[in-house]
Formats: sequence, C-alpha cells, structure tokens
Amino acid sequence: MVDTIILLAAVLVFPGGLFVLALGLGLKGVDRRIAARLQRRVGPPLLQPFFDLVKLAGKRTLVPEDACAPVFLGAPLVGVVAMMVAAALIPIQGVYTPSPILGDLLVLFYLMVVPAVVLMVAGSSSGSPYGAIGFSREMTMMLSYEVPIVLVVVAVALRTGMGQGDGITFSLTEIVHYQQIHGAFLLDPAMWPAFLAFLAFLPANLGIAPFDIPEAETEVLEGPLLEYSGPALGLFKAMAAIKTVVVLSLGICLFLPNAPDGLAGLAVQILKLLVVMTIGMTLLRVSLGRMRIDQGFAFFLKLPMALSIAGLAAAALV
Amino acid sequence: MSLTRSQIVRSLSARSPWLYRINAGSCNGCDVELATTACIPRYDVERLGCQYCGSPKHADIVLITGPMTVRVKDKVLRLYEEIPDPKVTVAVGICPISGGVFRESYAVCGAMDQFLPIDVNVPGCPPRPQAILEGVAKAIAVWKERL
Repeated sequence: MVDTIILLAAVLVFPGGLFVLALGLGLKGVDRRIAARLQRRVGPPLLQPFFDLVKLAGKRTLVPEDACAPVFLGAPLVGVVAMMVAAALIPIQGVYTPSPILGDLLVLFYLMVVPAVVLMVAGSSSGSPYGAIGFSREMTMMLSYEVPIVLVVVAVALRTGMGQGDGITFSLTEIVHYQQIHGAFLLDPAMWPAFLAFLAFLPANLGIAPFDIPEAETEVLEGPLLEYSGPALGLFKAMAAIKTVVVLSLGICLFLPNAPDGLAGLAVQILKLLVVMTIGMTLLRVSLGRMRIDQGFAFFLKLPMALSIAGLAAAALV
Repeated sequence: MSLTRSQIVRSLSARSPWLYRINAGSCNGCDVELATTACIPRYDVERLGCQYCGSPKHADIVLITGPMTVRVKDKVLRLYEEIPDPKVTVAVGICPISGGVFRESYAVCGAMDQFLPIDVNVPGCPPRPQAILEGVAKAIAVWKERL
C-alpha cells in the first residue's frame, strides 16, 4: 500500500506530474526569452507558457466533422500520461532514485516513442489533409532518428556494463551510480561520438528547427495540431513541455549525471537542463532554417548514424 | 478588494492572445506591415504575449486585411467560423473600412462590417506598425472583457 502511494506520488507530483510540468513550462519560457534576446527582441514574459496553458483551458474545443472523436480527443491524454510516467523513470543524482518496479531504460525508451505515435494518431484521426501530411512526415522522421538513439543508449549501457564486469546493464540507476564513481561519460573521449549523435537526436525528437518538419507552420499549418483547439491543444502543449524535460534529463543521465546530494543536487540538475537546452535547442532554432523532409531523413541516415555506430564500437573496444 | 477565481483566470488568459491573419483580397501591403510588426525587433508583439499561429483553430485575435473581394468572400466567412469563441476581430488597413483604392470595384463586396463583426479598425494604406500594435493592444482590452 505504502509502495503504491510512493509510486503514485512519483508519477503525479515529484519528479513526474506537476513538478515536471512546471519545470517544462518554465524552461519553455526561458527558451523563448533567450531566443527573443538573440534576435534583439524584448521577448515574452518568463511565465508566458503558463498563461498560454490557462488561456487554452478556457477556450472551446472544436471536433471536426470528419474526425474520429474518441481517438481525436483521447490521443493527447495518452501522450501526457506516458510522459508523466517517463519522467518518474529518470533518476536525478542525489535527489531521486526511481523504484525498480517502474522499469528501466528499455521501458523509458518505449515511453519516449509514445508522443510521436500520439502525434501520428492525432494527425490521421483529424480528417485533415494537413494532418495526414504531418502524420507521414512524423513517421519518416521517427524512422530516421530512432536507430541512432537506440545505438547511443546501447553504447552507454555497454560501457557501464563492461565497467562493472557483467556485459550490459539497462538500469538507469546503475548507469548514474557508475558515473558518480568513475567520472562522467562526457569526459571520456570514447563516448564523444555517442554524445554527438545524441545532440543530433535532441532537436529531431523535440520537433525543433531544423527538424520541425512534421509541425511546420508555414508549410503544413502545424500538421497534426492543425485541427486541435482549447483544452485538447493545451494537453499537447503540456505533453511537449514534459517531453522536453524528459529528453534533456535522459541526456544528462546518460552523459553527465554527477551532482551533490539534496537540494543542491536539484539546483545542479536544473542548471544542467538550462545549459543543455540553450545550447542544444535555443541556439539551434534561432540560427538554422527548416530542412525539407528528404534532407532531414538523409541527414539522419548519414551523420548521426555513422556517429552512433562509431560510438558503439568505441564504447565496446576502447 | 478580493479577486475571485474567474478574475484571476481572466487576467492570466488575457496575457496570451494568439494572432491569426486573414487576407481578404489585400494587395499585400498591409500583410507586409503585419509581418514586419512581428518580425522587426523594434515592434516585437511577442512581449504582449502574442504569437502568430498557423491554424485558425488556435487563434484568439483575427487580423483581417484587404477589401472583401467577391472571390474570397465565402472562404473568409468559412474561415471565420472555424475560429473558436471568444474571439476579437481587427480590420487592418483602409480597405476593410471603405474599400480604399478598390472602392466601387465590380470585384469588391463592400465594407467588411456588413459580413463580420469588426471590433477594432486600424486605418491606413498601409497602417504604420505602431498603429497596428496599438490596434492589437486595443483588441487585447476588448478580448479581456469577453473572456
């Protein structure tokens, strides 16, 4: 019984649920502010994403005539719940260790695919041709970035497992623990190719320029999100905010989890999130234009793929 | 003075007006002004919480440019219906008011407010970015009342 309550608290309050939602929206606010400053604009208030969410909650939800209503409205809910569970799976060094019942890196991996699948389902159930194009683009992107990220994760798991002397480990807790003792993988030259491949995966998974191809506003009118309005759209925004934190935390967890215990650990975690977000997302999206879908697909099959294979080989052999 | 819950929600929501542009047969002059209003750092509308959205279903404030031409009339009305309530309409340029240089043309339906409820007019051919920003600010005030 107590275990169940602890698990529920981890998923709904900290570090999943409310905490990760607030953190994600806060990060989004900082991201928009930095992007504005880089373009010499004033930019929105830091709490802008919160205002947006409150506003969306009060608007009317329209369901298109051609849409399949239960799927159309259910899709964002599934996405938000999957991301909340995913957030509870990622350890924060010195602050939070997930219960082994929730799952390991492989479960997290499946959960991280859910938002992309949800967008595909949303796009195809909306009955809009733009949604259908968004669906096809989302699937193409997913197929291209999924292989490199699997190889990156396997490289880290293999490195940890070999360091511990038992082959391969998919427990995030052990990966973090190993790095806390032996030093971060970011400082290990053998892991640099895998890290670079992860940096390329980041914008593609989060739908940020130059890989915001499925939700391109000027081409396919935000694709899968085109027909959504009001609270349903708000759920998608919440899902995107939580997903940002989940993907960034996974990167921190795999490559640089070292932190002190207690509140200082939490502060260090948030600082790392800010730094990785500024470098990996904000700078990228203000400095690059959007790729075409064929360019994006070809890019991932070349450079990140080569980097991740090299990363795996380096992790296994060096 | 105690704030009720709905007042708090209303004042928070009023800080997030999303803009949508409808071109009702405009010559593109006003549309260029709208684009620069958003893009040029000096006239940044994002500081009011605004953001341009690609879909009419995400919009709160509609910016309409151009005289209502015969060809686009039905499409504009249909698009307007797709925007969820509450919404505010801003007519940008002289054309939605009187037809501007296209006045009395065989291809123009006439003043925009015969077809749509217009809340704010921003006259000019094209209006200055400052005027458009003022129009958007007025629209936000109107929008706050409707929430």
